[in-house]
Amino acid sequence: MRSATFVPASLGHTTPLNGLRALWAVVRREWMIFIRYPSWVVSLFIWPIIFPMGYILTARALSGVDGSGLAQFKLNTGLTEYVGYMAVGTMIWMWQNVVLWNVGGALRNEQMRGTLESNWLSPTWRFAYLLGASVPQLVSMLSMLAVSGFEYAFIFGVKFNGSLWLTMLVVLAAIPSVYGLGFAFASLVITMKESNAFVFLVRGIVMVFCGVTYPLAIQPQWMQNVAEWLPQTYIIHAVRSAALSTEGFQGIAYDLQMLLIFGVFWLTLGMLVFAWMERRARQTGAIGQY
Amino acid sequence: MSDIAIQAHQLIKKFPARGDSGNDKKPAGESAPAKKRSFWPFGKRAPKSMFTAVNGVDLEIQRGEIFGLLGPNGAGKSTTIRMLCTLLEPTSGTARVNGYDVVTQSNQVRRNLGTVLAGERSIYWKLSGRENLQYFAALYHIPPTVAKKRVEELIERIEIKDRANELVEKYSTGMRQRIAIAKALLARPPILLLDEPTLGLDPQAARNLRELIAQLKQEGHTILLTTHYMEEADQLSDRIGIIDTGKVIALDTPEGLKRRIDQKEVIRLELTGWHADLGDKLKGIAGIESLTSHQKGEADLWEVNMQAQNSRHALPRIVESISGNGTRLVNMNIVKPSLEDVFIHLTGKALRD
Repeated sequence: MRSATFVPASLGHTTPLNGLRALWAVVRREWMIFIRYPSWVVSLFIWPIIFPMGYILTARALSGVDGSGLAQFKLNTGLTEYVGYMAVGTMIWMWQNVVLWNVGGALRNEQMRGTLESNWLSPTWRFAYLLGASVPQLVSMLSMLAVSGFEYAFIFGVKFNGSLWLTMLVVLAAIPSVYGLGFAFASLVITMKESNAFVFLVRGIVMVFCGVTYPLAIQPQWMQNVAEWLPQTYIIHAVRSAALSTEGFQGIAYDLQMLLIFGVFWLTLGMLVFAWMERRARQTGAIGQY
Repeated sequence: MSDIAIQAHQLIKKFPARGDSGNDKKPAGESAPAKKRSFWPFGKRAPKSMFTAVNGVDLEIQRGEIFGLLGPNGAGKSTTIRMLCTLLEPTSGTARVNGYDVVTQSNQVRRNLGTVLAGERSIYWKLSGRENLQYFAALYHIPPTVAKKRVEELIERIEIKDRANELVEKYSTGMRQRIAIAKALLARPPILLLDEPTLGLDPQAARNLRELIAQLKQEGHTILLTTHYMEEADQLSDRIGIIDTGKVIALDTPEGLKRRIDQKEVIRLELTGWHADLGDKLKGIAGIESLTSHQKGEADLWEVNMQAQNSRHALPRIVESISGNGTRLVNMNIVKPSLEDVFIHLTGKALRD
């Protein structure tokens, strides 16, 4: 029966460097797949214009032909730049929305394609699949935010009076909260097999409570209390302060502090939910089920 | 180094029975209530009943052998394979792959295993064949210089060199399956788990793949193979385990298995106008031990196989039962039992059931 005289030995060696190479391979794979769908790349340039437009035109209509209604807007927000105000709110909303769909659906898409199981069978650290899939998504979203900034400055004449560096600092501080929620979501979707209802719920909550198109001050107190527990509230407020006003660091200090706390919370929760999902999948076989 | 590549001892896997809200529904396998308390506050949930997919599997696969695992759908082959490759955790029992425990040393197990589980679906269709192999080489922690050489070696070996840079979505099923096998071979693992590797391939592609599997055995790989094609199992396997209702019910060489029903004969009929009542009638004939039927390619032409201790005694009653009621006998043979017949004898089902 045994005709073999040579027993093959694995060529792989698990070292931290090889682990990093595996993570990089996931990033490259995801990026290559992304750019092979040209419509996704084109949408990076089109969506920032189309999506906030409805809200901006509504605001223009409500502010009156001569803009007389803007005085009330300034009273509530401290700003006159309502186009920039709407654009910032809707872009942050869109960022969270796209993260929920893309990062949140990253593992589920692999599961439905059939490739999740073949990834899971390798000796790579499994969180690398989620982390690696998030990096190209983060790059594309940051590009979209940058593109939208240019588009609003040059097409709509929005005056970004604030600081580019402070805006970038806020975006950086927002990443752990936005993606931590995405990680937790991605892990839950693997177990529940369905993401649509939850995405609609989360983005609806953000839209209503976080002041995407209106200042929090106009909400009833109970809604303002809810908004305080949502990191998107602080992201939107801080980006508006940093990009549109001249308040400087003082205007965003509290928001940054809250974003760091939320960031630690959501990243930890995201990783814990992932670990729970991984353990549960080993017991139920969920990885191979689609 | 031990001579045993894969070892499983009393491997059991239970799942909550699907769509079952209580214990009133008895699943096909053993049923046992799980003592899991729900945190759902509105009303009490009845305890779940459990479905036993694998029920005490014992296996010892020698180094360098091809071991065929056969069983009808739902018999527990895939669950067994998934436990061996660490995708599933056993409810109880132990398994070791290349000496490593599948639960406590799962990473070492994965390093020593090459797997083809979902065939063409296990690779990325939006990447080229070469990109797929480079990607999986990194996941298996193969150093870049070694990986580059290994990828090119495998591209040559599976004969896709001219099309290695094309996207996999443009490949045929056979080419995709070859990429999936090359992926499993990347790290040159000592043990390969091939789950239905020739499924969906045309006859020529399947033959080529079988040749490749035989070569891999010559190179020293231990191969655990599941297949729906009995001839394939017969041709490739050194030993075969037949699994049914979660248990290994027979384990021997293909010849050894066939010897088990050497004294029996298989009566093969081809007829038109087949109906279920006729099947019951034929099963009732003294000396007929098992019966399977399936429709052949042509319309209304059926093949019926029956195992009998002595065909000469049974034949007159068979012919008598068939005549009338619109049934017409087209052909009849007495044949030597094949591995398929062994399988039917043991499980009462054809492999594709």
